Amino acid sequence: MFRLKTITLTLKKFSSIALEFEELIPDTVYNWSKEDFENYQVPIGNTRFPLTNYFDIEVEGDAEGPEDVKMILDGDMSRVKYIGYRMTAGEIIVNGDADLQAGAEMIGGSLKINGNAESYVGREMRGGSIEVMGNVREYCGTSYIGEWRGMSGGVIKVHGNAGKQLADCMSGGEIYIGGSCDILAGIHMTKGYIEIGGDVTRWPGGQMKNGTIVIKGKLSSLLEGFKNEGIFVDPDIEGKQLTGKYIKYKGDIGVNGKGSLWLNAEKNRNLL
Amino acid sequence: MEYILKNGIVYDPTHNVTGDRKDVMIKDGKIVDNVSSDAKVLDVTDKLVMAAGVDVHAHIAGPKLCVGRLYRPEDSRAGVVPKTDITRAETGFSIPSCSATGYRYSRMGYGTVTEAAVPPLEAKHTHEEIMAIPNIDVSPLALFGNNWFVLQFVKKNDLEGLAAFVSAWLKLSKCYGMKVVNPCGSEAWGWGMNVHGIDDPAPHWDVTGREVVRALTQVNEMLGLPHSMHVHPNDLGHPGNYPTTIGTLDAVKDVKKNPNVIRDQTIHCTHLQFHCYGGTSWRDAKSGAAPVADYINKNKHVTCDVGQVTFDETTTMTADAPMEYDLYKLSGLKWANKDIELETASGLIPIIYSPKAPVNALQWAIGLELFLLINDPWQVVLTTDSPNAGPFIRYPRIMSWLMSSDRRTEMLENEVHKWATKRTDLASLDRVYDWSDIATVTRSAPAKILGLEQRGHLGVGANADVAVYDIEPENFDATKASNASVIEDVMGRAAYTIKDGEIVVKDGKIVKVVPSRHMWTNVTGFEEQEKKVLEDIMPMFNRYYTVKFENYKVFDHYIDPAIEFKIDAGK
Repeated sequence: MFRLKTITLTLKKFSSIALEFEELIPDTVYNWSKEDFENYQVPIGNTRFPLTNYFDIEVEGDAEGPEDVKMILDGDMSRVKYIGYRMTAGEIIVNGDADLQAGAEMIGGSLKINGNAESYVGREMRGGSIEVMGNVREYCGTSYIGEWRGMSGGVIKVHGNAGKQLADCMSGGEIYIGGSCDILAGIHMTKGYIEIGGDVTRWPGGQMKNGTIVIKGKLSSLLEGFKNEGIFVDPDIEGKQLTGKYIKYKGDIGVNGKGSLWLNAEKNRNLL
Repeated sequence: MEYILKNGIVYDPTHNVTGDRKDVMIKDGKIVDNVSSDAKVLDVTDKLVMAAGVDVHAHIAGPKLCVGRLYRPEDSRAGVVPKTDITRAETGFSIPSCSATGYRYSRMGYGTVTEAAVPPLEAKHTHEEIMAIPNIDVSPLALFGNNWFVLQFVKKNDLEGLAAFVSAWLKLSKCYGMKVVNPCGSEAWGWGMNVHGIDDPAPHWDVTGREVVRALTQVNEMLGLPHSMHVHPNDLGHPGNYPTTIGTLDAVKDVKKNPNVIRDQTIHCTHLQFHCYGGTSWRDAKSGAAPVADYINKNKHVTCDVGQVTFDETTTMTADAPMEYDLYKLSGLKWANKDIELETASGLIPIIYSPKAPVNALQWAIGLELFLLINDPWQVVLTTDSPNAGPFIRYPRIMSWLMSSDRRTEMLENEVHKWATKRTDLASLDRVYDWSDIATVTRSAPAKILGLEQRGHLGVGANADVAVYDIEPENFDATKASNASVIEDVMGRAAYTIKDGEIVVKDGKIVKVVPSRHMWTNVTGFEEQEKKVLEDIMPMFNRYYTVKFENYKVFDHYIDPAIEFKIDAGK
């Protein structure tokens, strides 16, 4: 039987100190009633306050597991951290901006942000999908600070721009950036696929050991550790058919890397 | 405050008490044989009672730990425990926060821990961290094996001068004893080199590890320091290193022990597991535990601790900087390195010991072989060289391995790589430790080895450091493989930990926080010689150190509260 539980949280009061939503994921709330939400105290700074101080809550339908849950967060969530943290199933839709760590350590399910997101989107993600309609800031799809094992699975799709150090230490999964990207995309990556639609400032793939980075726009500065392997027309890269001419590089030879970096030849004529 | 622990099953190897039903009485922080009727009765009927644990070798305070925490922020995500009314928040697994270090030892029933490597230049920092660690008294050991002044005295064969220098430097650094790490090797690292074996001289010094260990051991006995020479020999972690280990131990065989000390040994070899490898490379590496254990069985001037690998993701940190570089080259993980001016060097990398990795399985098996092949439990101490082979919170798990050969067989057959079976004799060793052996290797032996008369036993006059565990030794079969997890659980959360007569842990929870005391050795009788030595070395000190001598010393307010061990070297 098809079941669906829709939980709608509509922001009524904005808190300048961030709320933390790591407990409000489908895995924990699938069997919560409206009263349960009304009794819940949400972490804020070093304390907790009633969720009802900040949100109007509506709960419709019922669910047998997290996969039956659809959570809708309406309003400006730019001070709500850890949305979808470690979720394994279900769906979360944010109709607004999201704060730090959206979809961090996500295992399954889907998270859609109809706005911009702060840093650390999809940090150490293992599965599921994240779609951001706006921009993301730094460290999207990366590892935790100091950790050398980063995103290992799942898909992140960003329609806008991405900030610095996209996918640091990535070891699996796919990331698509529609817009431009700042420095050091795919640094330390060992596996996985990154596709950037727009321009890139500098140094993609620094110390990459393996994996694939495709840049469809202009790259301003390429690292010395990448070796030109020729020009390919309409290449098929890991089952993904690209159209047009691409320059292929191998690197980063500084760490004996065997990663591949593909640059759109038309946009990067200076490198031909 | 007076207490009487009633009806417990007591193990006190120092006094040959092996599982007797006895009351333990406490008054004014000491064990006594009589208490008044006001004494508070703690009913511990049928429960396991021992002296509080004593750790002879761990890395718990100082700059290495701080570098580790800065360098491995990801480690602090594990082991997060929120604060309570009594305790501060805890973080970290292999390099816990300072307060977590104290709480975790205390929960295991430990009361004394040795910080095994203090560069005198960084001693202030070490004592600052000890101030932040509660509930355990700490005996720091100062590093001497690569110190330029030491090398100079050894080169001139001036033992009198060296003794005065050591005496002065223990006072300056407020340390308890002497430690040597890869003698001459860490000095060679200053030139990007290492030494190989005990007769390979440090570059530009023409002094060998053998000469340094011998000279410092002689000085240790000349001064009569409570603890013996504590040595981390050359060639740590290199296949084929066991002859170096035996050579190091044998080099001091003829050194006469000072008659005023309670310990039996003149040399303590630390994390012996890392020094017992046979073969010539990691391709043909095999166990070298048997010949080393045989040597120790025949020679009472030696004690050791094991440095048991526990199959965890942990952090290695040591003053053996060239070895850390080798390890970094093998693992490819991140690496930190530090130069300690005229004294030593140090390195740090994360490491993952996996039961499926051949080398790690071999290391695990060699550690257990040492525990089982060394006949006298008074010569071997349970350690993990925390956090190098595993964090100290794994001690209870090691106890469970020692107490059950069935559990070891189960692991050999199902859980660890076959190198553990094929390249060591572990599978053929069915010896098991009983509770008395466990009490020996975790309390009585380490206390005696450290020269701590009032610790590690429950005799009258001893410090009232007592641990009670929620297990009934008379009704419990520790040899059963399925009971291993019970041992690990119970020994990891003491029913009571009593520190100096105060209950600090009850039912595995911290109920009281007391400051840790800084144990240090004050040698008297060498004042004149010390003065002369300081005058002699001052030009070199001023020329090469980046600090002024006036700022080098650890001032008294860094060691409050302290326990001073006064040694009359003239005696």
